[in-house]
Amino acid sequence: MLDTLIQAFGLITTWEVIVAMLAASVYGLVIGSLPGLSATMATALLVPVTFYLSPIAAIATIVAASSMAIFSGDIPGALLRIPGTPASAAYADEAYAMTRKGEAELALGAGVWFSAVGGIAGTLSLMILAPPLAEIALSFSTFEYFWLALLGLMCATLVARSSPVKAIAGMFIGLLVSCIGIENPGGVPRFTAGLTDLLGGIEPIPALVGVFAVAQVMRAMLTPEPPPIPRRKFGSILAGQWTLTKKYNWQMWRGNIIGIIIGVLPGAGADMAAWVSYAMSKRFSKQPEKFGTGHVEGLVEAGASNNASVASGWVPSLLFGIPGDTIAAIAIGVLYMKGLNPGPTLFTEKASSMYAIYLLFIIANIMMIPLGIVMIRLASYVLRAPRSTVMPVIMVCCAVGSFAIGNNLFGVVTVAAFGVIGYVMEANGYPVAAMVLGIVMGTMVEQAFVTSLIKSDGSILPFFDRPISAILATMAIGAFVWPVLVWLWRRLKPAATAAATPSR
Amino acid sequence: MRLPDRVTGLFLVGLGAAAAYGGWKLPPVPGQPVGPNVFPLVIGIGLALCGLAIAFGIGHSFEEEEEIVPFEGGAAPAPQGKLYGLRALLPPALLLFYVVVAERVGFILTAAIIVYVTATALGARWKLALPLTIGAPIVIHLIFSKLLRVPLPIGLLPMPW
Repeated sequence: MLDTLIQAFGLITTWEVIVAMLAASVYGLVIGSLPGLSATMATALLVPVTFYLSPIAAIATIVAASSMAIFSGDIPGALLRIPGTPASAAYADEAYAMTRKGEAELALGAGVWFSAVGGIAGTLSLMILAPPLAEIALSFSTFEYFWLALLGLMCATLVARSSPVKAIAGMFIGLLVSCIGIENPGGVPRFTAGLTDLLGGIEPIPALVGVFAVAQVMRAMLTPEPPPIPRRKFGSILAGQWTLTKKYNWQMWRGNIIGIIIGVLPGAGADMAAWVSYAMSKRFSKQPEKFGTGHVEGLVEAGASNNASVASGWVPSLLFGIPGDTIAAIAIGVLYMKGLNPGPTLFTEKASSMYAIYLLFIIANIMMIPLGIVMIRLASYVLRAPRSTVMPVIMVCCAVGSFAIGNNLFGVVTVAAFGVIGYVMEANGYPVAAMVLGIVMGTMVEQAFVTSLIKSDGSILPFFDRPISAILATMAIGAFVWPVLVWLWRRLKPAATAAATPSR
Repeated sequence: MRLPDRVTGLFLVGLGAAAAYGGWKLPPVPGQPVGPNVFPLVIGIGLALCGLAIAFGIGHSFEEEEEIVPFEGGAAPAPQGKLYGLRALLPPALLLFYVVVAERVGFILTAAIIVYVTATALGARWKLALPLTIGAPIVIHLIFSKLLRVPLPIGLLPMPW
């Protein structure tokens, strides 16, 4: 254990890792703070760069950029009432109300301080949860993997802030995309329409870049430019944060824990964590009437929550290759490319790399405090960059980056196509995160499903035979039945009240 | 581009049916009960069922209407015209333009055109757009071609490095 820890230290204390991490942090802070550019997009555009780095340095850039971007989304939220990333949307109003009361320092300080605390709590959960779960997962057969994957997909549809039917449809679209290509149980070309470029299937990373980056540029074409930020001087950023930590200790921990749980759930990421935690904070607060008028309590809880979910989202990713959120979906792609194939054996065979990942998360979250403060002070300059300078650069990066992934121009076509798909889906209320999850997990679901079917000779019963698979099956089916029951209940209730009223 | 649920739902029914049919037609693996045809069949049927449900408005009650927060200090409202909605198609069109042209014309010129068109479409004045058009492709070329060794097409305008 100590040996592995020392090895892990050796892995991360190289110049390559340190420089990559610093650069990725600055990149994440800038992209996260620009409204309309999300943390997922920041991470997706980073992937081509990670190709040319060593495995640990590649993971370091992903970890640093995603953690920083989730925090720095709070900055324009507090100063402009426009969340920089969706994860900050839940409390942007509250933070802006604080700024108007003259408490901008307190709001931004709470953002950076509790983000760091949440991130470290999330990392601890990753360190504590993952190894024992890996022990259990070692005994999993394809039946368990099938149900687990299905449960993951269902979770993603349950937590979407949209119609669950549309979320499930989005998931099916993603699975259908993953069907394309030759990588299937029969090894026959499937849905390739005779195109050789499609034989290899659709790469998840260009699809992600299209859905999260190109679609965003498309939206920018139709929305007005956000107003420029007023120039201002800030007082001490961290003053009063320790008092807040003591005063709202319980809220902070509740935020951490909710964030961890939501992060572990597949498909549900930082934005969901922030919404749930903010709502919970309001619900259990002693002063709920103060919420919305510039009250720091919700900021503490939700700010901790969204960063906690970033780290804990790696738990299912590392263990099963099931992404905990869209950022983790990208991380999985990078892990595969770097020979760190997700799976329970990762924790025994590549233990030093795992420790290195834990250390990277902790370092990234500690670095967040000084870098975050610098970023807050520079925010009025960075946020002055007009959209018309940022978006063109992103367009070119999309083209070059997607080309670089396979040195193949077809990647650029994929990005363009998924930009359109993502834009149309988003505009019509279909959650794109569900589709992304379907694309990433499709091959795994199919493999587990078909292998299980072959093993069981076409019978369904063995899917429920083993105890763990029975539990997982119940949960997966429950996740599907639950919205149906809620819908029926909502349908029947107005009917019942309508029937009851005339009799009175 | 908000389409009625009925339209998107029926589109999904069609897509699902096509996928199921396409999957069903795939050749089975000899001597094996399940092959590459099962998964698309299941997914296609599932997608078609979802599409039906959406077309009939099931689950619509779960959707939260997105709250549009007006900016304070009021940016000018977007001009609405018939062709205005088509502007959204500019980014993917530019990417396809890159695919067609990059090999022949080279990275620097293609990227410059993409940057210039995107910047002007987003309302940049020439004072901003021109330096960006010259600077951005060179910097990106430097990073990707020199630092990351991506073989970018040279085309008509080779870079000195």
